[in-house]
Amino acid sequence: MRKIYLIFCLIFQLSCFSQNKEILYNFTSIPQSLLVNPGADVSYKYYFGFPVLSGVSANLGSTSFSAYDLFADNGVDFNQKVRNVISKSSANDKVVTNQQLEIFSGGFRVGGRESKSYVSFGLYQEFDFFMFVPKDLALLALNGNKDYIGKSFNLGDLSMKAEVLSVLHFGFHKKVNEKLVYGGRAKIYSSGANASSTKNSGYIYTGESAATPNFYNQVISSNLELRTSGLSKFTKDEYEGNVIRDIANNTFFNGSLGLGIDAGFTYYFKDNLQVTASVVDLGFVRQTKDIETLTYKGTYQYNGVNPDFMGNDDPENVFDEFDKAIPRDTLYNKYTTWRPTKIYSSIQYSFGESRPDNECNCKGQGGDVNYKNAVGAQFFAMSAPRTPLLALTAFYRRNIFRKLDVKATYTLDTFSNKNIGLGLAGTIGPVNLYAMVNNVLEYKDVSKASSAAFQLGVNFVFQDKD
Amino acid sequence: MKSSLSSLNLIFLAFLFFSCSSNLDFDQVKDLKLEPAVLANLAYFDIPANKLIDDGGNHVLADVRGFDVFKDKFFTNRLTKAEFDFEIENTIDRAFVVNLLLLNANDEVLETITFNVPAYTGGSNVIKYPTESFENQRLENLKQTINIGFVVFVAAGPPLNDDSTGSLKLKSSATAYLIIG
Repeated sequence: MRKIYLIFCLIFQLSCFSQNKEILYNFTSIPQSLLVNPGADVSYKYYFGFPVLSGVSANLGSTSFSAYDLFADNGVDFNQKVRNVISKSSANDKVVTNQQLEIFSGGFRVGGRESKSYVSFGLYQEFDFFMFVPKDLALLALNGNKDYIGKSFNLGDLSMKAEVLSVLHFGFHKKVNEKLVYGGRAKIYSSGANASSTKNSGYIYTGESAATPNFYNQVISSNLELRTSGLSKFTKDEYEGNVIRDIANNTFFNGSLGLGIDAGFTYYFKDNLQVTASVVDLGFVRQTKDIETLTYKGTYQYNGVNPDFMGNDDPENVFDEFDKAIPRDTLYNKYTTWRPTKIYSSIQYSFGESRPDNECNCKGQGGDVNYKNAVGAQFFAMSAPRTPLLALTAFYRRNIFRKLDVKATYTLDTFSNKNIGLGLAGTIGPVNLYAMVNNVLEYKDVSKASSAAFQLGVNFVFQDKD
Repeated sequence: MKSSLSSLNLIFLAFLFFSCSSNLDFDQVKDLKLEPAVLANLAYFDIPANKLIDDGGNHVLADVRGFDVFKDKFFTNRLTKAEFDFEIENTIDRAFVVNLLLLNANDEVLETITFNVPAYTGGSNVIKYPTESFENQRLENLKQTINIGFVVFVAAGPPLNDDSTGSLKLKSSATAYLIIG
């Protein structure tokens, strides 16, 4: 029970939030927009992020239920709420969370004053969680099989992955000419903890069958596998440490290592018509530290007790038979996990030239002309077990004051069809501040939101004139 | 113009930093109580008449089988109620009494469940017996069970030989009501 409680806490408290950063994408007054498109048209002499505060983001999404549905303090019995949530969920509904925290970040221009080549680098910590609602198993646990005779409970419903990792990255982007900016980023992943169980299959079946001498034909066919790294020592009785501290330590200093790349570009057809595209986290982690793979593979048919009255001593032992038919095996093989790869693309039309301004012409938005307004559309896709997550965003961006930009987004995705997001980025002297939230329509009661995300951060950005 | 812009800002800021949320109570997780009702086969047999060769007098068949599910403490400690359902089909022209004995580790009889089975006279002879429900003390007895004895009394009647037809079939199921939480 304690374990169930812990798992619940882990899923619904710690992990509270899809990974689409639709507001940040191509919001080029924020240096962190380079993390979603290394070929974004961002320019600076140099910048550095306020340590630990330069980029904080969290992201929660659930396609079938909200935190309110489960945890509302409304007197309804919790078990009834769990039943309601399970009954309105399908096995393709998912719970997705991503959280990122920049530890440090920075960048500088390389080459001379006329150069348009930039490097950027940093270290951030990331937590990812992805789970499909294991509907059939939840039904079985809640209700048992008594009222489901003839139903085959699908063990393939169990599909989840979770990872805590740190990412050390180094990127380069170059404005080749007035039309093209391209960039790339190399990443070293260090995974402190990984759990992955995404290729399960099998069923638990109880059916009435005239063909058997029994009331029921009862079969469990199991092909379950859970791979973990960096976690098995916590499950041992003799473990007496601090789990959080140990995972943090592994994440930064003793993790399983991996490699990845980001790549992207910005292209101006005209001064005011721009397309961008990027791929982020095309990479893998080779899980090698404290690895343990648990499997339950086999088929077991349960018949009950069968006396033959012939004096045969044929002792039946349900548990031994079950264990023999579907053994629990523990393997210690290294394995490779793929990072959730994201693809972004956008098209943007700008209009409303700002008046010539003697003081500043430092925003690299489309050559030498600055526009006050921009509208456009963005596309997002992320690899996930079974099918990718997709989102379409329409956006409007406006430059309110010289150094204050606002971006509003309307996003359609699997979580919501009316997700409105708002982002602000302002610069006061060298201080660059930004804050973004999405799903603002749900802000009248955020606990009822099917997804929510926020990002904020502080940077110090220096242009030539600063 | 300026003032309308700054009020716009205020609105944005309000959106960004003030949001409401219903009260959520995450401690409710502690109330999680799973109450599955698990249905499983219990026991079955099929005795053909030509295996019961006799001269028409009374006699007894017996067998004892292991039944180790209650050794599992997780299961046993959370079992709050059990129900057994039995169905016997007799197509032999003899009457039977079937006894099911629940036996503990010392082979002591904890419970005897008796089924009277009338002789086959043509037509359907399938009997569904009333559900045996185990709660309270009876459930505690059941939890001590590690063997099940089957005793079949064959009542006197027409002799049975190699050519006798029909059979005595038993099917049974158990429903275990668990509370996990």
